[in-house]
Amino acid sequence: MFGYIRLELLRTIRDGGFIIFGIASPVVMYLVLSNLALAPGDRHTGAIVTMVSMAAYGALGGAFNNGSGIAEDRAAGWLRQLRLTPLTPAQVVTGKVITGVLGVVPSIAAVLLTGVLVNHVTLSPWQWLSIVGLLWAGTIPFSLLGLGNGYALTGQTAGMANIAAFLGLSIVGGLWVPTAGFPGWLRAIAEWTPSNSYAALSWDVASGTAPGARAVVILCGWLVVFGLWALYAYRRAGRTA
Amino acid sequence: MEIDAVSLTAVTKSFGAVRAVDGLTLAIPRGQTVALLGPNGAGKSTTIGMLLGLIPPDSGKTAIFGIDPGQAVRQGLAGAMPQEGGLIPRVTIRELLTFIAGTYRAPLPLEQVLALAQMTGLEDRRVDKLSGGQAQRVRFAMALVGDPDLIVLDEPTAALDVEARREFWNGMRTLTGRGKTVLFSTHYLDEADEQADRVVVIDRGHVVADGTSAEIKKIVALTTVSVTAVGEVAWLGDLPGVSRLEVRGDRVHLRSADPDATVMALAQAGAVRNLEVTPADLEDAFVALTAKETV
Repeated sequence: MFGYIRLELLRTIRDGGFIIFGIASPVVMYLVLSNLALAPGDRHTGAIVTMVSMAAYGALGGAFNNGSGIAEDRAAGWLRQLRLTPLTPAQVVTGKVITGVLGVVPSIAAVLLTGVLVNHVTLSPWQWLSIVGLLWAGTIPFSLLGLGNGYALTGQTAGMANIAAFLGLSIVGGLWVPTAGFPGWLRAIAEWTPSNSYAALSWDVASGTAPGARAVVILCGWLVVFGLWALYAYRRAGRTA
Repeated sequence: MEIDAVSLTAVTKSFGAVRAVDGLTLAIPRGQTVALLGPNGAGKSTTIGMLLGLIPPDSGKTAIFGIDPGQAVRQGLAGAMPQEGGLIPRVTIRELLTFIAGTYRAPLPLEQVLALAQMTGLEDRRVDKLSGGQAQRVRFAMALVGDPDLIVLDEPTAALDVEARREFWNGMRTLTGRGKTVLFSTHYLDEADEQADRVVVIDRGHVVADGTSAEIKKIVALTTVSVTAVGEVAWLGDLPGVSRLEVRGDRVHLRSADPDATVMALAQAGAVRNLEVTPADLEDAFVALTAKETV
């Protein structure tokens, strides 16, 4: 299974879609947004809030891109080929989930490093550790949603569904523009999205407060929903493959 | 009794109203090279899918070396090349084959696989930048890299030109020389004729003939014995082995299941004039076999 993860990671870093959505786009957007000072508060606070938002945005891009990969693999007959090797289906799924989890690391690292090196963001070591940990672990629900779409839908449709989910959740969740500027009804929706809860955990840590219980509960709720979706889609794909 | 490499017993599979495989029974002893020959839609791919555990049969039993196919695949006893697909972009041939090899307990060394699939020197090419023939050889390499005892190939040469087909079979013969059991499906008759020890003809989901290609040609009695004859020729139709008589001008064409006996009888009757014996090709046999039930 390690061989499988290794192969999938190689494919990920050679994937143009991953480089654009997972690394280049969040870094560029971070540089633009943080220097436009769209975020509330002073410039340094703004640079921190936007850094978290864009790291979350990039991580989501990586997670969804991984899910779209499953649909491509299915269309290419790769999943069937894997069934003709000694690997078990469970090993393949586990490998793909681990690939997704590892694949978001470069996105998070690129934005955080840009924050440190370009915008001179300073945080305490425990804040850095918590933010990295929360940004990383928090991608699991999105990976599952992406994989579910990848199993449930065919090649191009899955890719489009994942990009739509990725951009939709990023925008409505307040990763591009803070929800403070949203109209009331949209802000009400935003507060229930997994993307807003996901980023909120790290926004709280960055501002020096403990992550809110509400965000944890909402994100865990979505984890269950997306986990069930991925399980259902995987089982259904197995019957028709 | 030695366990068969492949065993299908009364296997049936329907897709909606279409019965793709209908009570098919087939046993392949170890070491044989068997061609599964049939027209498009005869049920070859479905049969292979069930044999490999990719498609669950509606009824009947399947086994590879006496155990459940899925289990046999996980133990590395069987390797297979599906009819299409299985190649992923953004990896090199070396990366792909090294990964597949790593899933097996005792794979072949990479150099040997590259040599068998005639890809030596191509190993650092990206899989998505290969020609059709090269891609097919990579897929072939994936089937044999685990050094399985049974190799199943679904229409391995369907997408290849004549030259690439010949190269493919050259690689294949090296493999069968090593005592592997090989099952391949094809709708190219000459391939079945030249490459297989045994030809299993399937049509509409069941076996219609099974034997060496010589035996199959004999079953349908298609060797033609022709002589020049004038006058009353109807008696030639009663000669030993003759199943049909046809007169074209002064030539009489006799279809015979036993051409030796037919020629002997002709000689005894003193009727050998411009004798010509044309062996059937498998194509005629095949057409005769698969057309029989259309009536």
